[in-house]
Amino acid sequence: MSSQAQIVVEGVSHYYRPPRGREVLALSNVSLEVYEREFVALLGPSGCGKSTLLYLIGGFLPIERGSIRVEGGEVLSPGPDRGIVFQHFALFPWKTVLGNVSYGLQLAGFSGEERTSRAHKFIDLVGLSGFEHSYPSQLSGGMKQRAAIARTLAFDPKILLMDEPFGALDSQTRSLMQSELLGIWRSSPKTVIFVTHDVQEAVYLAKRVVVMSARPGCIKSIIDTDFDKSSPDHFKSPEFIEKVDEIWNLVREEALLAQGAKSGASQP
Amino acid sequence: MRLLIIRYFPLVMLAALWEFAARAAKGSFTLPSLVDISIAWFELVKSGELLTNGADSIYRAFAGLALAVVIGTMLGVFMALSRSANILISPLVELFYPLPKSALIPITVIWLGFGDASKILLIFLGCMLPVTIGAYNGARSTEQFLLWSASSMGAGHMRMMRDVVFPSALPELLNGIRTALALSFILLVTSELIASRKGFGYLIGLYGSGGIYDAMFATVLTVAFLGFFADRGFQMVTQRAMSWRE
Amino acid sequence: MAGIAGMSLLDPPRPGSSALAWALYYVTWLVTRSFTIVLLLVVWEMIARSGTVTRFMLPPLGPVFERMVEDVSSGAFFLKTSQTMFRALTGFAIAAIAGILLGMVMVRSAIARWFFEPVISVGFPMPKIAFLPIFMLWFGVYNVSKIGMIVFDAIFPVITATIVGLQAVGREFIWSARNMGAGPQRVLWEIALPAALPQIMTGLQVALPIALIVAIATEMLMGGTGLGGAMLEDSRMADSPGVFAGLIEMTAVGYCAIKLMAVARRRLLLWHQETQQPAGIMFPRKRRKTR
Repeated sequence: MSSQAQIVVEGVSHYYRPPRGREVLALSNVSLEVYEREFVALLGPSGCGKSTLLYLIGGFLPIERGSIRVEGGEVLSPGPDRGIVFQHFALFPWKTVLGNVSYGLQLAGFSGEERTSRAHKFIDLVGLSGFEHSYPSQLSGGMKQRAAIARTLAFDPKILLMDEPFGALDSQTRSLMQSELLGIWRSSPKTVIFVTHDVQEAVYLAKRVVVMSARPGCIKSIIDTDFDKSSPDHFKSPEFIEKVDEIWNLVREEALLAQGAKSGASQP
Repeated sequence: MRLLIIRYFPLVMLAALWEFAARAAKGSFTLPSLVDISIAWFELVKSGELLTNGADSIYRAFAGLALAVVIGTMLGVFMALSRSANILISPLVELFYPLPKSALIPITVIWLGFGDASKILLIFLGCMLPVTIGAYNGARSTEQFLLWSASSMGAGHMRMMRDVVFPSALPELLNGIRTALALSFILLVTSELIASRKGFGYLIGLYGSGGIYDAMFATVLTVAFLGFFADRGFQMVTQRAMSWRE
Repeated sequence: MAGIAGMSLLDPPRPGSSALAWALYYVTWLVTRSFTIVLLLVVWEMIARSGTVTRFMLPPLGPVFERMVEDVSSGAFFLKTSQTMFRALTGFAIAAIAGILLGMVMVRSAIARWFFEPVISVGFPMPKIAFLPIFMLWFGVYNVSKIGMIVFDAIFPVITATIVGLQAVGREFIWSARNMGAGPQRVLWEIALPAALPQIMTGLQVALPIALIVAIATEMLMGGTGLGGAMLEDSRMADSPGVFAGLIEMTAVGYCAIKLMAVARRRLLLWHQETQQPAGIMFPRKRRKTR
């Protein structure tokens, strides 16, 4: 609709091809527009293809049907303009935190000194000062995720793709990380596409929540969640509860469909 | 069937390469052509030499291996179940594991001479280790929860051993036996090449020193492929026992 | 055996226990470990002296140890060990480098994979030592055939381990690297290879004893120098104490080689070892604390 959209997904369908068995339609004719510096959540039941959509935008999976354009250019391969953060951190276990965070900077061509100072800056930003020389295996889950976020932020991507980044963390750490992420985002706003299955998380973090249908995934509806969530008791506010309820009902319909499909005759 | 041919076609290519090289190198390099080798092979089989010696070799290997499997398994399981047995025996296992088993060849010859007995003893000693380690690791890996479930259903010690420990241990044990199988061939050939009056290794040495290279190559390839088929056969037979593994 | 605070001396003391507890644990460990070996030596001596077997078949420990001391003081032990180790390590190094490279090529190229896979699958279980007489025919009776056979035997587990390791690298690691702008070469060398390192090291840990075994076997088969050659010589000359001394020497050399390999693995895979035995959350320190 508006030519200002930074990311334009048009008519994208994607087949999932397991090594054995028939192919399955994972995404069906998905179209979406994301604007610059928007925080958007992709929400839906398991298997709805939200991660697949994220990977397509990231350029990790080939786009077979439809098109995805970022700032006018077609997405052909992964690149540092669209930084990704995975659920299981994907930190290189043989590198220290500093090593991990500097890797992207090394690829981007920063000199040694610039690399170190920049890396330190981001390690401090996510609150990991003092752990620069620790290995990922020595860190807790929350710390690993912070390191992963620092690593991605360090090479300054315009767009941040986050694949259920807090899914592997316990609920207390998760809430902590959510507010920290918002803090970081407010200080250096980027476009964020955040995949999650947690409705509360989506409503809290995002300005718009894209609710996806059960497989084959398509966009069921897009709910506006841009209201004031700054107060510490935001999740008790009537507006919040109303939105969560609304979205939860949408998701529940789809979740039930997904359950039904699983116990039915269709392929995994 | 067609897939099999595509998979193994590179071997056919190598055979063709061999044939070509053999003809080209005639005289300057000892490489009998595959045709000559096959002819020699048939002659050996016809004369009975290959078969009698082969039988001798296989008997030795099989006897040594069978002993190693039976005793090694019992030892390994025992070590897994009894802490004191473990403490006593594991230093020995750790010490002899890196010993090059070929070192045992002169020793077994000193003890039992050049005949079958020394070879069987050699293979038994050499193959004990992988079997014991496999049995030990396999038995040890039995999940505690499985044992608790069985005992809560009323199973006694003997039944638990048979119904829980043994099936749990089987994959690792079979892996250990597979290693031992390959090792038995290696020890057999090595000891027969050094000190024997019959068997495959003896034949290879005999033909080699006599300059009858077609027969030598034929015997070498026979042993090599025997080892290969033994391994494949073992895998096929034990496939079912491992099929429930994730 | 009840020890300090009711715990068995056989278990490591809890972190924070007194130095005495640790000392007792180590002493117990040493004693139990060497107990069986000492027992073995005692049984040996008893059988040797009992007269049930001839001095030839089982020489008493005295002459055996005498031979060993002679070997070490005359420098013969050092000489033959270094000859054997030279062959074994040269073969191992070649097998390691070639094996890893071939494994990498096979992962990247479907054609290479198609060509070499049956060769490896058929060759792996073969008793390759059977080919030694052929090697001797082609390459003579010196080091080339020995080292060639060592490479031939040791390369298989390295190739297999490299392939398994590389194929098992999680796609999220590859994707993260590509996300940051790394090209396929960098991804292979800087990300996939380190990620596959634990598996590759396991393959190398299998290949080293193979290299040692084949080195000694070839020495025995071809005669000459080295630990295997010396043992063969002794057995030909019916020098039974020499043969048994050689056995003990080989056990010692093999044991040290394995231990060194394990240390090397721990060093190289410091980051991985921690994953296997989580050390818990450590507080920030300027220097890494070693366990």
